[in-house]
Amino acid sequence: MKRILPAPPSLTLLPAFIAVPVLIEVCAGLHAGGLNVLTEFLHAAISPSLDRDVLVSAWRGLQVTLVIALLSWVTSTLVGIGLGLLSSDAFGSIIRAPCWMALGMRRLLAIPRAIHELIWGLLLLQVMGLSVWVAILAITIPYAALVARVLADQIDSLPRDTLTAMSQLGAKPVPAFLTALGPPMAPVLLSYCGYRLECALRGATLLGVFGLGGLGTDLQLTMQSLQFRELWTGLWMLAAVMISLEQLLRWWRLQLKQPGIAASLMIKSLLGMIIVFGCSLCWLFQLDLDVQIGFSLRGLPLPSLDALSQALIELPWLPLIGETLLITLLAAAIAIGLPPLGLMLFPNRFGSNVQSMLWTLLRLIPTPLIALLLLLATLPSLGLAAMALGLHNVGIMGRLLREGLDQQGDDKHEAFRAAGVGVRSAWLYGYLSPQSASYLAFSAYRTDVILRETAVVGLVGGAGLGWQLLESLSAFNWAEVVVVLVVFVSLTMIGETICDRFRHHWLSNAEQKRFRSMSVA
Amino acid sequence: MLEKDSIAMEANEELLVMKGVCVHGSPQSRLIDVDLRIYEGERIALLGKSGAGKSTLLAVANGSLSPDQGLVCWRGIPLEQRSDRQRQAIATLWQDLRLVEELSVGQNINAGALSQKSLVWAIVNLLGVIDADVCRRCLQAAGLSIDLLNRSVSQLSGGQRQRVAIARLLRQKAELILADEPLSSLDPVLVKDVLDLILRENQSSDLDIGSTVIVSLHRPELIDHFDRVIGVQRGKVVVDLPTENLDSDALDWLYHC
Repeated sequence: MKRILPAPPSLTLLPAFIAVPVLIEVCAGLHAGGLNVLTEFLHAAISPSLDRDVLVSAWRGLQVTLVIALLSWVTSTLVGIGLGLLSSDAFGSIIRAPCWMALGMRRLLAIPRAIHELIWGLLLLQVMGLSVWVAILAITIPYAALVARVLADQIDSLPRDTLTAMSQLGAKPVPAFLTALGPPMAPVLLSYCGYRLECALRGATLLGVFGLGGLGTDLQLTMQSLQFRELWTGLWMLAAVMISLEQLLRWWRLQLKQPGIAASLMIKSLLGMIIVFGCSLCWLFQLDLDVQIGFSLRGLPLPSLDALSQALIELPWLPLIGETLLITLLAAAIAIGLPPLGLMLFPNRFGSNVQSMLWTLLRLIPTPLIALLLLLATLPSLGLAAMALGLHNVGIMGRLLREGLDQQGDDKHEAFRAAGVGVRSAWLYGYLSPQSASYLAFSAYRTDVILRETAVVGLVGGAGLGWQLLESLSAFNWAEVVVVLVVFVSLTMIGETICDRFRHHWLSNAEQKRFRSMSVA
Repeated sequence: MLEKDSIAMEANEELLVMKGVCVHGSPQSRLIDVDLRIYEGERIALLGKSGAGKSTLLAVANGSLSPDQGLVCWRGIPLEQRSDRQRQAIATLWQDLRLVEELSVGQNINAGALSQKSLVWAIVNLLGVIDADVCRRCLQAAGLSIDLLNRSVSQLSGGQRQRVAIARLLRQKAELILADEPLSSLDPVLVKDVLDLILRENQSSDLDIGSTVIVSLHRPELIDHFDRVIGVQRGKVVVDLPTENLDSDALDWLYHC
């Protein structure tokens, strides 16, 4: 029997075929009236409302979203850096902390990280009431845990020879740590912090869609009332901010590549963040929002053991978990497979530019709004939930793939073209293949994110743990909320462990091959 | 300039012609008014110091670099007007090999046949090695064990990788082979093996590969393996002679002037 050895580039393409049954399911429910509404939506893109009231309302919403994003980004980064240091073995060893401390911190931080910001938002809403701080805290909690994990991983992956040498010279522990490990960890940390700002902006918009204020709320209301021209006014404003931010971060990453400046940039960045925090606070108070901080646990009563065990017995766990995993796998397959397939089929400059614009649009529109838009034309289903989640992530994966391709040399592609290989095959072998291991590593990470994001689309498909959680929250059934949350967190923690294995596998492959290639060249 | 003798392979077909080719750029990558005619069956050594313009000349010859001035024709057709199938006729052994690290040895060898195959074939090749028998023959002709067929190229030694690149070249079934410094990082034993492979000496392979070869070299002591020598200096072709007419003074002038 012939041995099948799928190569990494084929693993980036094959998931795209999962989109076919999903598309069939979504198309089966299509109706003519819905298609007209979709056409109206697309037509409105070129004629957004320029009415003064609409512009003022969208601008105010955008400001709220920006303030939420900036405050939560700075807070989560600074808290995350502190937690990251405490959860790294290297830092623990120099401050002579007990060895269980770092491990315990890492385990503990896995819990806030596993819960999506939307779920944090809905839980905090119960104890804090509707306030701008709910959205800020909801983003800050999981993001701080994410920054902590990345920082701890980065610190512990660095060689400690220099640190040991400095300690032997008699340097004090913390200055020795900062001098020896600060410069090598700075580029990764600063680049990751930039990426988190983008995530915070998307997160703030998403929370708005669920009623926590800002532009997201405006987008949701205009979508529900089919006011597409007003919807596009907000979307274009958001697009302007997001595209500017992406360009700014691209410039930032280029700065980080300059040798020897990352460490000083890190210190300047930390100072800059504190200034941004102060300015954002002033901005928040100027917006004339209700900034009272209320806190009451009365909205979140502790359920009895009986109620918990009853919820545990009554809920249909197998379908709930199965549906959650199915949505995750389908959405991840769409998100991973479609960008390379699209670029392979249309690799010329025009084709790739059109796809880049489409990806920007998909990144821009929060997942629930994509789902609502599709719902206007077709029936709710699990496939639709997966497609909405997948399409939003196509926007993110597509941009990442394009950036990776832009950074790599075109020598292999040039070699294939010179040998008479067709445009598409040359793209596949000359561009995608060298990039495939890195792309698969990020795909593993993205799958982990998508698993958490199923909470956002569960409502649309009426399926999965996310949907059940929102249902239980709406019914104030706290026993169900607790058990579903525990199962969801456990599932995402298992998912994170599996995805991490894959990510490390592909990352080590990519690094090894890059090294081999460099050493031979 | 030392002109080539009039015995210039008149009976053989003219494959590649360069007329008044100029490439502007840095001193290391420029060509100045290059005129060349390459005939079928010729084995040409391309000599010159580092940065003389040898790699640029080969890049212009395989069409990956368009000259700023002048014309390059393959069998009478300007290079840029060739179809993809016609491009296949010129194979290049690149200095950095340009193997795809993410693929296995067999998949890399098959990549040499991509110009003759469809996109579907290209995708299926990524799923697992296809046309394994042809790949094995190419591997054997390149002096490698067929057991390496499913091995990742990133696990191979430098010499093995060089041979995989040659096996890929064999799979391409080209008429003209261009080799850019293929011997520069090899030990003496490997140098002889690789040279024999490229020049098809001591081979009984039934693989259909071209007998016309241009090899850029750093080491003038190897020119006895070739029947024509082209010398490049500061972007200009300054020597173009049958090997037997080349004396040590010309070589000295080429390398020390």
